Amino acid sequence: MAAPNPFTGPDKTSDKAMTRRNFLRGSAAFSGLAALAASLSPLRELKDFSSTEEFLQKYYKELTPDDMTKVIQRIENQVERQYGVRPHVRDLRPMDGVEFVYCLNLTRCIGCRKCVHACVNENNQSRDPEIQYIRVLRLPHGSLDLEKAEHNYAPTQVPEKGYFYMPVQCQQCKNPPCVKVCPVNATWQEKDGITVIDYDWCIGCRYCEAACPYWARRFNFAKPSIPKERLNPNMAYLGNRPRRQGVMEKCHFCIQRTRAGRYPACLEVCPVGARKFGNILDPESEVSHIFREKRVFIQLKEEMGTSPRFFYYFEK
Amino acid sequence: MIAATRNYLRFLSRCGRIAFVGDWRYYVWMGVLTVIVLLGLNAYCKQIVHGLLVTGMSDEVSWGVYIANFTFLVGVAAAAVMMVIPVYIYKNEELHDLVIFGELLAVAAILMCLAFVTVDLGRPDRFWHLIPGLGQMNFPASMLSWDVIVLNGYLLLNVHICGYLLYSRYQGKKPAKWFYIPFVFIAIVWAISIHTVTAFLYVGLGGRPFWNSAIVGPRFLASAFTAGPALIILALQVVRRVTAVPIGSTPYSATGSTPVGMAIRRAATLKDLEVLAQHLPELAKVPLADQVACLVGSTVSEVERGEILLHQGGQDSEAYFVLKGRVVVKREESGRVRITRTAGPGEQFGEISALNGTPRMATAIAEEPSRVLRMPADSLRLLMRNKALNEIIHSRMTERLMITDRGLLILRGIVQVSMLINVFLLLNEIFKEFYSGNLHVASSHYLFLGLHGHSGLVGWIWTAIAFNLTAMVLLVLPVSRSLRWLNVACVLSIVGIWIEKGMGLVIPGFIPTPLGAILEYSPSLNETLVCFGIWAFGLLCYTIFLRMAVPILQGRLSKANESLPELEGDDGPIASPANRVRPTALQT
Repeated sequence: MAAPNPFTGPDKTSDKAMTRRNFLRGSAAFSGLAALAASLSPLRELKDFSSTEEFLQKYYKELTPDDMTKVIQRIENQVERQYGVRPHVRDLRPMDGVEFVYCLNLTRCIGCRKCVHACVNENNQSRDPEIQYIRVLRLPHGSLDLEKAEHNYAPTQVPEKGYFYMPVQCQQCKNPPCVKVCPVNATWQEKDGITVIDYDWCIGCRYCEAACPYWARRFNFAKPSIPKERLNPNMAYLGNRPRRQGVMEKCHFCIQRTRAGRYPACLEVCPVGARKFGNILDPESEVSHIFREKRVFIQLKEEMGTSPRFFYYFEK
Repeated sequence: MIAATRNYLRFLSRCGRIAFVGDWRYYVWMGVLTVIVLLGLNAYCKQIVHGLLVTGMSDEVSWGVYIANFTFLVGVAAAAVMMVIPVYIYKNEELHDLVIFGELLAVAAILMCLAFVTVDLGRPDRFWHLIPGLGQMNFPASMLSWDVIVLNGYLLLNVHICGYLLYSRYQGKKPAKWFYIPFVFIAIVWAISIHTVTAFLYVGLGGRPFWNSAIVGPRFLASAFTAGPALIILALQVVRRVTAVPIGSTPYSATGSTPVGMAIRRAATLKDLEVLAQHLPELAKVPLADQVACLVGSTVSEVERGEILLHQGGQDSEAYFVLKGRVVVKREESGRVRITRTAGPGEQFGEISALNGTPRMATAIAEEPSRVLRMPADSLRLLMRNKALNEIIHSRMTERLMITDRGLLILRGIVQVSMLINVFLLLNEIFKEFYSGNLHVASSHYLFLGLHGHSGLVGWIWTAIAFNLTAMVLLVLPVSRSLRWLNVACVLSIVGIWIEKGMGLVIPGFIPTPLGAILEYSPSLNETLVCFGIWAFGLLCYTIFLRMAVPILQGRLSKANESLPELEGDDGPIASPANRVRPTALQT
């Protein structure tokens, strides 16, 4: 660079300009990184981390019995750490020769919503934000038009004159739209007719929620909160074990009870005996009896072709 | 192989570096976008910690503005590529140089789509459950799995096409047809498929009568082909404006420069053609007889830096080849001047007017002392009888940054027709919903008129309809042949369609719920910030893409000038000797 050079630019390459340029670049890069760090700062509050084990956990149907034992142990430890109660988590499989069907007697239902609350307690649903699997509709006599339904009825006493009540929950369809749309197979129909969700596989896209014609699916918009003393420790893997933020859940006919030979919680609590549940493949079951004896059955939105396993009927 | 990889990495690093330089307007624009991106990122981090509770969504309205924006942008991405059709199928040269901007817009739009879907997920950490092989993809049953495939496939297709064309241009090579034309045709079909599949996401849901209508797919396409080209019309004008500078602000602007000199001019000889053939090997394949014949009337000139070789608007009809040095071609439009290409040794300029007999579209100025071969149009035609030479000259004709008003008006034609179809289809939908008057009209009732005292979307949809109708009228009237009115119509269409397709389609599908409950939705502040962040991210990507593509198309960023200092700032002609350090000079 000794000799004066006609091609050298005026000051763009001089040392002074380079230093200034580097300084500017350096400070721009530094303030950029600082701003990035600041914008990421809310992540410090993130407590509900997925462990590597959880992050890499396989799909339910691909878990070997060994894997399942480990996963269940991990879940039990987590629940104990969080709620101070040692739960009993089981991976209950569907039984052979069983297809569950629910029948609900609209003549009897008085709209007391006891089933809603029994369900919340049984299935460890979040109390804040509130998640409920059963929605009881109040309809004027003579109409099944759901757009006339009142969801937030609150009289001093039920039943009210001129209305009937229709509890709606997952209809356990034979042709479930929610299963069809799930992009990752996180929800499927089991042999006994119950549509279940792998809470550890769901990505939370809520497409199933949009697809369900019965508005039966619920999403964990926040981390579920359950009071410690209210936790139900009798749990099933595909049933009522506590869920995490950002996944779907819904009624599963109380898998933790019904696959162990008990009735669903909503049935047990019903004060008027409007709810009947059983194995339709067993001719001696109560639901088979109802099917033989009663005349009118309503499958909600029958025209959808979803073919629900949840039937509404009238006594007379 | 290693050399090729090194070349490619060098190309990428130069492209990467250029994204960080520009004039003050560039820094301000990028700075503002970065700040908005970071605000959005901050809002998204809050959403990760506290869950989707921080959005306005609920079990009743379980998709909101994220999915609305996603739907709109899939349309933009699809439509951006549809500009390819007139170019490759109908060989419309006017639009040729616009294609790459359209495809880059498609890439940016798809990136935004993927971001919008990701922020909508409750468990983004489980995204790998979607990857075939690793996770479980419910294909072909789930429309969402189709969408994952078509969107990512579309992204790859467009990245390949743009990347390959730009890299070829950078190297100064003719792109191999078999390596991109098949992908262009796949991309055209794919563009229709991405938007149809996205429509099917909604159409396939029997439990939502508002969406469960066969007309949604065609409506999506019509509205996409309105909003997409409208967006490109606006984007191109921005590109045109920022790549041009006011006349007189740079040395050797077309006006007020040294008049055509060409003092030293002599008849061309076979020796000159040999020199040319060193840079243009295809020329050697031309039969000697033709080479000799084309020398008739051809001249060679030595020109000084700043000398003008041909004038925009001129009627002369020769074509030029650069034998030595470098010539810059500039186009003047509405008081501004823009470099449309540069030509180095072996490259031609002025050939389009020569072959078509049209007035000169731009002015050519020597950027350094150069030697040029001037050849009558008939001589060029003679040479172009050779297939290889014909192809290379043709391929270079299209490599230029010539955003003409005529090109924009062809896009206007697309927007015009699409908007008419769009409005027509909307009327069809409205008729079907309200005339039959069945129970499923509730969602439409809520959208257009309000339902049981709830009317959150009524203002939105009527604004959209007013915008769309105004845009339609403007587009049909001759007044929109002026760019000012065309721009108004484009802005109105974009906003109108964004509302119609986003807030007007996604939200009312959820209201009332399948059980008849009405819960209204409006986006929360946090949700809105995330949306702004993603839009800013998309604009940032598009700006960077353009920042790389424009100098490559102009020939200012090429393999030939690898050894020269990088571009600094925007305006100065980079290859002018005044601010260039030659490697040889450094050694003295």
